[in-house]
Amino acid sequence: MKKASMTRRLFLLSTGAAATGLIVGCSTAAAKGRGYSAIAGAFEPNSFIQITPDNKVIFYLPSSEMGQGILDGLTTLIAEELRVQPTAIDVRHASLHEDYKNPEMGMQATGGSNATRAQFLPLRQAAADTAAAIRNAAAKQLDQPLDKIVLVDGQVMVEGKFYGFGDFVAVAALMPVPENSPLRSPKQFDQIGRQRPRLDALSKSTGTAEFGIDAEVENLYRAVVVRSPVLGATLQGFDASAALKRSGVVDVVKIKSGVAVVAQSYWQARQAAAVLELNWEKTELGSWSSDSIYNKFNETLNDSSQKGLECCDEGEGDKLLDQSATVVAADYYAPYLAHATMEPLNCTVEVNGDSCAIYLGTQNVQASAGAAVYYGDFDADKVKVHPAFLGGGFGRRGLGDDVAEAVLIAQKTGRNIQLVWSREDDMSNDFYRPAALVRMQAGVSEQGLIETWAVRRVGPNIMGYMLDEWVDALAPDYLNKGFVDWLSKLGRPIFNRFIADPSAGDGIYSDYDTPNKAVRHVTQDPGLRTGFWRSVGHSSNAFFKESFIDELAQSAGIDELDFRLANMKNNPRLTEATQLVAAKAGWGKTLPEGHFHGLATHSSFGSAVAQIAEISIKGTQIIVHKVTAAIHCGMVVNPGIVRDQVEGGIIYGLTAALHGEITLVDGVIQQSNFHNYPMLRMADAPEVEVHIVESQEHPEGVGEPGLPPLAPAVANAVFKASGQRLRDLPLRLS
Amino acid sequence: MITFQLNNSAVHVDIDPDTPLLWVVRDHFKLKGSKFGCGMGLCGACTMHVNGEAVRTCTLPISAVQGAAITSIEGLGTPDNLHPLQQAWVEYSVPQCGYCQSGQLMSASALLAKNPNPSDDDIEMAMNGNICRCGTYSKIKSAIKSGAEAMRTQGSLVEIFDPVITDKEASS
Ligand code: FES
Ligand code: FES
Repeated sequence: MKKASMTRRLFLLSTGAAATGLIVGCSTAAAKGRGYSAIAGAFEPNSFIQITPDNKVIFYLPSSEMGQGILDGLTTLIAEELRVQPTAIDVRHASLHEDYKNPEMGMQATGGSNATRAQFLPLRQAAADTAAAIRNAAAKQLDQPLDKIVLVDGQVMVEGKFYGFGDFVAVAALMPVPENSPLRSPKQFDQIGRQRPRLDALSKSTGTAEFGIDAEVENLYRAVVVRSPVLGATLQGFDASAALKRSGVVDVVKIKSGVAVVAQSYWQARQAAAVLELNWEKTELGSWSSDSIYNKFNETLNDSSQKGLECCDEGEGDKLLDQSATVVAADYYAPYLAHATMEPLNCTVEVNGDSCAIYLGTQNVQASAGAAVYYGDFDADKVKVHPAFLGGGFGRRGLGDDVAEAVLIAQKTGRNIQLVWSREDDMSNDFYRPAALVRMQAGVSEQGLIETWAVRRVGPNIMGYMLDEWVDALAPDYLNKGFVDWLSKLGRPIFNRFIADPSAGDGIYSDYDTPNKAVRHVTQDPGLRTGFWRSVGHSSNAFFKESFIDELAQSAGIDELDFRLANMKNNPRLTEATQLVAAKAGWGKTLPEGHFHGLATHSSFGSAVAQIAEISIKGTQIIVHKVTAAIHCGMVVNPGIVRDQVEGGIIYGLTAALHGEITLVDGVIQQSNFHNYPMLRMADAPEVEVHIVESQEHPEGVGEPGLPPLAPAVANAVFKASGQRLRDLPLRLS
Repeated sequence: MITFQLNNSAVHVDIDPDTPLLWVVRDHFKLKGSKFGCGMGLCGACTMHVNGEAVRTCTLPISAVQGAAITSIEGLGTPDNLHPLQQAWVEYSVPQCGYCQSGQLMSASALLAKNPNPSDDDIEMAMNGNICRCGTYSKIKSAIKSGAEAMRTQGSLVEIFDPVITDKEASS
């Protein structure tokens, strides 16, 4: 029996943001010492916490806050162990430092829904050690036995008398910082697991939260870039004479991705950009349109001489498929998708001689700094990143393409600039969720057990494109640039021909007990760049898998819930979530006239989620009334945020399921703004009810796992309502 | 030269008359709470009040606001002095990434100024121009209802929507 050979490290690569350290080692983290600037008189036990003599507790947030609630979550961990109210902590975005690397990724990045899981123990330890240091200092300074020193609510209590933490920082700073101090037990928790308003709600409800686009520096000019209508084409020539005559325009410069117009205001730059004339060479992508891409995928799917790469081969693989009592086969398709973060990409750069400061919201502080080093030829220690809140991430922010453009413009013009992408720029220069066409086949026993599970998937990969961006940004700066560029281009051939991109198979075979599995992926890539999109491979694979499971249950004549439970005996988390959602939504109960339930269950990023969608149909319109969800994500830090993330994943997933489709004509993306790439709006948003499975296990992901089951839950309900099995996304009734 | 009221102060600006109000407020007056999302009037991130009406300012040329009273999120309330809706937004933990929320609040507050007790349909109608990519719609709805109730019982606070004379100005 052969198992898919995928190392842990490689698996992490697939899950959102990852370690090019695998290939070239990381170099751009700043030198030793603390990650923050020292404050006079403050106690600075580690790179996460500073305590000032006037009792201020500052926490340097190592993960990026993009809506997922990590600011609240990680601050809560600090508060729990340091015995301070979370609201009393002054939270700041951490700049680049090796201490802030995500311990699972080995990189200072946020993605893959792992920030809580990876930092649950290390951050609590840092806070517990800090608390111990304060107590030690108080004991010494007050000459009291340690057991008389108690930390309560941000104060030091000694024999009924209260002191501020700040009273002891001077002494604490002179004593060794304890290590491995005991952590509080879950029974003692009074912050972790408690529901309260999220900490960033106030700034985000008053317009005072600072996003990348809000950065202001001295003498700031605004820049926009005009890029090729067909992604990746090379500029042959341009005429800037008309643009240069426009008011406010100060520079027009060529950079690697296109031509930048720099002006006093954004509006002036944008107006002038419209009168630029540019000539682009033809590229391979220019010969592709959505129809020809689909046909090529289909041709490849049916061409058995193309064996493709192995994602999974267990038991007898697909050899026994024909021997099962029932064999079912169906082809499914998912399109390319754009991220459409609410805040379009932007980056502000301030150049000062040989140093540079960059301001932006990024999921990858390290790659952002690295892009400035690589493209701007700065020394690594001369680049300072000022991270801000992200107006949505979803996997789009942190590739360094925004920084590369901004740094090149700043250098070519010698000005401080803010580069702002328009919505149109954002939508047509994305790293898209890859399209995929799959053939699902399964053999089911007479008892309704899946015996063989076989998938053949055709489509592009993600990793090649990611490595192209990241290797440049993360390669050690002593390496020759030509070499680095060559190296960065290796990703695509490697993942196209030799190693199955983990995201190709993510979640398409792992939830059910099936003894024999064969999953193969054949790369077919027209050259449209792809990237991590909320829940990555799971976003489409769950749709394929969970729609197909319903088809299997129906062909076996077994209730879809019973069929799933019977086939997931080795998946206790998913079983619990499934049973909970079935009970809460009332699976099998009588629904209002014309309403139907659809079920889907899926594990991703360590968590298990089950959803039941209640829908009805009006003409050819699918109306989603309610989605009930249950999540098993281990221990919960703030239940409100877990529920919000699952709901957010459902809404994001529903936009994709009902509307999401990026199409091409002669290589040109046809969608440009929200009129032709519509988002779900309030009137169409279903009621969402989220239930959390009680658990004391280690926390797992919540930012992404809520999304994957949504599309199949809706599709399965649509089948019940209409008899139409919709196998292509977005879901469209005929 | 264009003169108007911005959050109860008289201001003037000498700028290309086509420039949308959004960019004038953000980049000229450096009030960064209002956001740019689409530039086409499709998402609502840039919503401000123009004479009490919720307006998408990314497509509103500055020349059109001559003499008007503009309220941006900064004029709705501050962290120390929250509008009841902002209070509700915090209590309900509405924001996720937060980027759309200034616009959501401006649409919601314009609604309540006219309709202190909106139905679900009223809310959906008034809020349908505001996209939230993070999916906070159900919380927005709950927070609007809660904020509306607070305003009804406290008998609130519509002076900030008054286009001409305000209590604030009168007392300062
Ligand atoms: S930015 Fe004005 S409506 Fe989108
Ligand atoms: S909170 Fe992120 S777009 Fe609304």
